[in-house]
Formats: sequence, C-alpha cells, structure tokens
Amino acid sequence: MKYRLICVAAVFAISLAAADQNSKNAIPRTPDGHPDLSGVWTNVTITPLERPRNLEGKEFFTPQEVVAYEKEHQRNRDVRQRGTVADVANAYNDFWWDSGTKVVKTRRTSMIVDPPDGRMPPLTPERQKQLAAEAEAKRERCKTPGCEVENSGMPGPADRASDRPLMERCLSFSNAVPMLPTAYNNDYQIVQSSGMVAIDVEMVHQVRWIPIDASSHLPSAVRTWLGNSRGHWEGDTLVIDTTNFNPEMSFRGSDENLHLIERLTRVDADTIMYRFTVDDPTAFTKPWTGELPMVKAEGMLYEYACHEGNEGMMNILSSARTDEKRAAAEAVKK
Amino acid sequence: MKKAMIGAVCGVAMLLAAAPLWAHHAFAAEFDSNKPIKLQGTVTKMDWINPHSWIHIDVKNPDGTVTNWAIECGSPNTLFRRGVTKDSLPAGSEIVVDGYLAKDGSNRANGRDVTFRDGKKLFLGSSNPDAEK
Repeated sequence: MKYRLICVAAVFAISLAAADQNSKNAIPRTPDGHPDLSGVWTNVTITPLERPRNLEGKEFFTPQEVVAYEKEHQRNRDVRQRGTVADVANAYNDFWWDSGTKVVKTRRTSMIVDPPDGRMPPLTPERQKQLAAEAEAKRERCKTPGCEVENSGMPGPADRASDRPLMERCLSFSNAVPMLPTAYNNDYQIVQSSGMVAIDVEMVHQVRWIPIDASSHLPSAVRTWLGNSRGHWEGDTLVIDTTNFNPEMSFRGSDENLHLIERLTRVDADTIMYRFTVDDPTAFTKPWTGELPMVKAEGMLYEYACHEGNEGMMNILSSARTDEKRAAAEAVKK
Repeated sequence: MKKAMIGAVCGVAMLLAAAPLWAHHAFAAEFDSNKPIKLQGTVTKMDWINPHSWIHIDVKNPDGTVTNWAIECGSPNTLFRRGVTKDSLPAGSEIVVDGYLAKDGSNRANGRDVTFRDGKKLFLGSSNPDAEK
C-alpha cells in the first residue's frame, strides 16, 4: 500500500512537471510528434558574424548598449549626400534595402559563439597559400585586356561565363548554406514532412532538399552548389548534415571538404534557434560555430527572377571582347 | 498636376566606389548621379517582382503630352516589411518621385524618395532625425 502511494505521488509529480514544461514551451508539432518548423521565417539582423574588435571580451550587450548600438548603426547608414555616385550605388541609401535595424534578441555581439572570442579561426597555411595563388593567377591574367571588375572591386577574367563569380551567374549569393542574412530578402520558407524538409531561400530562389532518413550522402564525386544534405532529429532539434560542396562554392574561405552541421530548434511559437558549425579541416585551423534566431515572418516568398533580364553577363563578356579588340588595334598601330 | 517634371538638378560626380558586395548589379552603372530628377505623376501600375519592384507612372510633359515612366524600387518583401502592400499604391495615386535618371536615355529612374502629393512619405525608411532629407 505504502509502495503504491509513493508510486502514485511520483507519477503525479512527473505529470505536473510535464504540464509545466508544456505550457512554457508550447511549440507546434507535426502528427509524428516532431516540432513543426514549417512556415515563413526571417533572420534579418545587424548583429555581425564576427565580433567587432572594439567589443573584444564582450559576449552580450546590456539592454542599454543595444539601444546605443542600434542608434549608431542607423546613424551611419543614413548619411545621404544627394547627387553622388555613392547615393546611387548605395541603392537609395538603404531606403529600399532590408538589412535590419536590430541586433539579435539574445543580445549577442556576434553570431560566432565558438571560438569564444567570437571570431573565425585562421585559415590553414595551405589554404592561405592556395587562395593567394588563385588571386595571383587572376592578377597575372588581368595584366592583359579581357578582364572585368567583379563585385569585390577587383578585375577578374571574363573569357567565358564560368570565369565569373557565382553571384553574377545567378547561381548563389552564398547565403543559403549556412543560412545567413544579407542585404535584403532574408526570408526562408520551410516545408516539412516526416521524410523530407525543404527550405526555400528567397535570395536567390535556392531550394534546399533535406531527406530525413538514414541514407548516406551521395558519392563524393557528386558535387553541388548547395552541397548534399541529410537530416535527423536529436530530441526536438533538426540536425542537417551537409557535404559534397562544389569547390567553387566557398563560404568565408571554405573548400570542397566543408562539412556543415546545422541545428534548428524551435524554441517558442515565434522562434527557431539556428546554430551552424563549419567543419573544414583543410581550410580552417579548427571548427567554428555560429548562432542566430530565425523569427516568424508574415507574408509569402516571391520567386527571385535573377536570370530573367540578367543582361549583365552578356554585357560583361562583350565588353571584355571589345577591350581585347581595341588593345589589338592599338598594338597594330604602334 | 501643373508641372510634371519639376526639374533636374546637377550634382557632384564622384569616383565610382566599389559596388556593395551584395548588390547584384551596380546601380551606379544603371543610373546617373549627375542627373537627379523629380517626377510627379499618376500611378498606372505596380510590378511586384524580385529582386526589384517597379512603379509605373504617367507624367504630363510641359507640352501637354504624357510619358509613362518606370521607377525601380526594392524587392517585394523589402517593401512589404516596410508596410507597403498592394493597397498602398493603387492605380490613380498621385506621387512625387525623387531619384536619378537612367543612363541609357530610357524613361526609367530609380526612386530615392517617394512622396504623396500632400507631402506624406510613403515609406518609413529612416528613423534618424539627423539624416539629410
């Protein structure tokens, strides 16, 4: 009898605890019991990936510091000088952009949480050498006509379309794997079923397919822009494991050996906490991890019509050919 | 609508700065900082297209003819996040666009500011009281 009473009391206590837990973390669930991540989300923020040097040793802002930081950020952006190229180039002076006005609600001073200094670890010496050699090859090629300025502001080869950066080719803005905010359209639509999760990244209409099964990644010879993803649940967290990146797709210096681990945890009705770990031993001296919230957003995603009307590529290539012809004609004159 | 094209004001040319890393195309390549323009007209339609929406307006010229201008704007979701919906700019709305002319001579401009005729700003882009308006 005494044993039975203890048993009843214990069960009662556990149910109470469970009920309490449920009310605190009331998150929607799919019929199979997993957290429901579906919907439209945004991760727009002014929190930088790396902690600024002047915030060294400071992991979180105080609420007062948040106000000051956001105000200063806005002030710097609102410099408006009419009739300048900068005003035009800044595309309407942030008036039309949507790159955020607030820091993340966790009040972190950087997205990077590991290393603890909030900054990316150095690239390996081999990777540094490789990138330097690639840059040197570009410089060498561009000593002769036929190069055009890239988005970085430096000239790059324009012998064929595949010489040009992925952005100009409308292939990727390198913001989808991992999912990090950019200048605007920081919107993601997640569609979830028991065996598959799809994420539509509005910029630039990149759809990530993530099978939730025990299958292995594709053979390593198969390389894609967004890599090859597999998902599994660890408790209430969706873990996405991605490999097989195309060597041309580099995230902050990563190479084709990038192994990206992303963790999506729906922490409340309005938030998914997004954590990503960059594991690439041939590119970085150690793995590094970042975190930022994705917040529920209103509205729908629009198709990003990047290719349609993209006359830039034709103009870039024809401009490079014109430069070559002009240089050849001048050489003949001499 | 007495004066359709209020006038272009010359500005100071500066060296072309590197385009923002994330810009898909360099706006300075498409629009001329030396040709600021102010257009007053009536909205004929709005294209909600990624990455850039377009407002089309009919502008009455001094000689009485009407020209349809296309004004390049931000992406549909950028506008939406700023509270602009399909109801904000119905056909027939009268607006003033303060922007820059396209370099190719077409009837296109970018929209630096868009204001209703009564002076009300359409967008709440800036929260900085110190910003030059």
